[in-house]
Amino acid sequence: MSVPSSKKITLILGAELDKLVTLPWTWLTLIGTFIINLLLAAAFTSVGLQGAAGTQSILNIGLASMGYLQAGFLILGILAACSEYTGGQIRTTLTTIPWRGFQLSMKLLALAVITIPAAFIIAASGVLYTFIRMRDTAVGFEINTMIEALAGATGYLTLTALLSAAMGALLRRTTPALVILLGYYFVVSPLTKDFLPGLKKYFPDTVGNYMYMPPSPDEINVLTPLQGTGILMLWTLIFIIVAIVFYRRRDA
Amino acid sequence: MLEINNLVKYRGTQEILSGISFKARPGRVTGFLGPNGAGKSSTLRILLGLDRATSGSALVNGMPFAELHNPLVTIGAALDGSGAHRRRTGRAHLRWMARAAGLSSSRVEEVLEIVGLTKAADKRVGNYSLGMGKRLGMAAALLGDPQILVLDEPVNGLDPEGIRFIRTFLRERAESGNTVLLSSHLIGELAETVDDVVIIKHGKIVADGTLEEVIGNHSNLEEAFFARTSAHAGDAV
Repeated sequence: MSVPSSKKITLILGAELDKLVTLPWTWLTLIGTFIINLLLAAAFTSVGLQGAAGTQSILNIGLASMGYLQAGFLILGILAACSEYTGGQIRTTLTTIPWRGFQLSMKLLALAVITIPAAFIIAASGVLYTFIRMRDTAVGFEINTMIEALAGATGYLTLTALLSAAMGALLRRTTPALVILLGYYFVVSPLTKDFLPGLKKYFPDTVGNYMYMPPSPDEINVLTPLQGTGILMLWTLIFIIVAIVFYRRRDA
Repeated sequence: MLEINNLVKYRGTQEILSGISFKARPGRVTGFLGPNGAGKSSTLRILLGLDRATSGSALVNGMPFAELHNPLVTIGAALDGSGAHRRRTGRAHLRWMARAAGLSSSRVEEVLEIVGLTKAADKRVGNYSLGMGKRLGMAAALLGDPQILVLDEPVNGLDPEGIRFIRTFLRERAESGNTVLLSSHLIGELAETVDDVVIIKHGKIVADGTLEEVIGNHSNLEEAFFARTSAHAGDAV
């Protein structure tokens, strides 16, 4: 296929956005993630309020739920990719948009368009809640630090959603994709954190932490937010390229 | 014009299609008939770019499906089922398709009206009956008002009214110069609709010609079909 025109890009991106926003699961996942994140923020804030005044960091407590929050974005990415295989929609998609690599790229771009604001709002809501509850007791912070942390959190959640969508496109079925990704992020990775300590920080789940967590002075060999972003982007790109190669080659 | 040339398809070690060739011409309804598992759907899937051929070609107006500039306005396809996500509404399904092809929302309303789904357009596809799902698939095929229609088992599961609608509709499309290729295993339902007949059995074409040629000395298409597809059937026409 020749290079797609800007008009074609606009049309296909619009169609992929339409698909995502008319899927009830998209909204249920985002709203559910928002509510659960606020509940977690409330819980972490309550624990934080028990601590000594002037020692608690609003950012650390506000973003403490990120480890759980990423589950919502893993699910969102998988649903976006695997929904094509419900009701035979993939046939309609590929007879309407038969340029497979281009179509999958536009789907991922549409997912990013939805994920970026959603991730920012959800991550910021947790920090805002913590700020409101702890502004009198916690240590102060620079506005720039907060913006950097929220931008990092947004980037991390967006890349996580894209990576899981690429995995969903590879596996094509929702349940196996959910089991593998949630199993890795929430069971395998925490259980194996003591193995390969030198390499573990480069894995996609752990490297993303460096995108939004302020570096701890106790930790050696930490990555900067920029390095964390670059490595997670590389992971995501590798998964996307593999997904596109398989998507182009195999029968629908 | 649709052209299938020496199409071969393997799944694993099993040969699904064994070098089949035929054409579907403008102004004619071509019936692609065969028992279940004969290779009809595999052929249509390759024609529509969904599956890869092991060798051979399937061309739409002389080019592979993926090279069409805007497929929806060239060829409309309805394969089994609705082809829509069960949790999306019928209208939303057609709207994303229309947007991808650069078509207006008013065209969505037109095709909903043509297939009689306007009142059910805001229901989720998962709540549709089999017949309504078929109608949605037909609406999707007609969305771009294409010159070519490819329909897989279009009357399967439809009530008599639906079958009559499909018959009349396809005849009208062909008479206005369009190409119609439809596959079916329900021979009796299609005898009154098709101009040309291609019969496939075990991945091989066993008959290809006009309706009259394929019927030959048999009393009707159904007899001719069974004569060609029964265990001891003879060679191709």
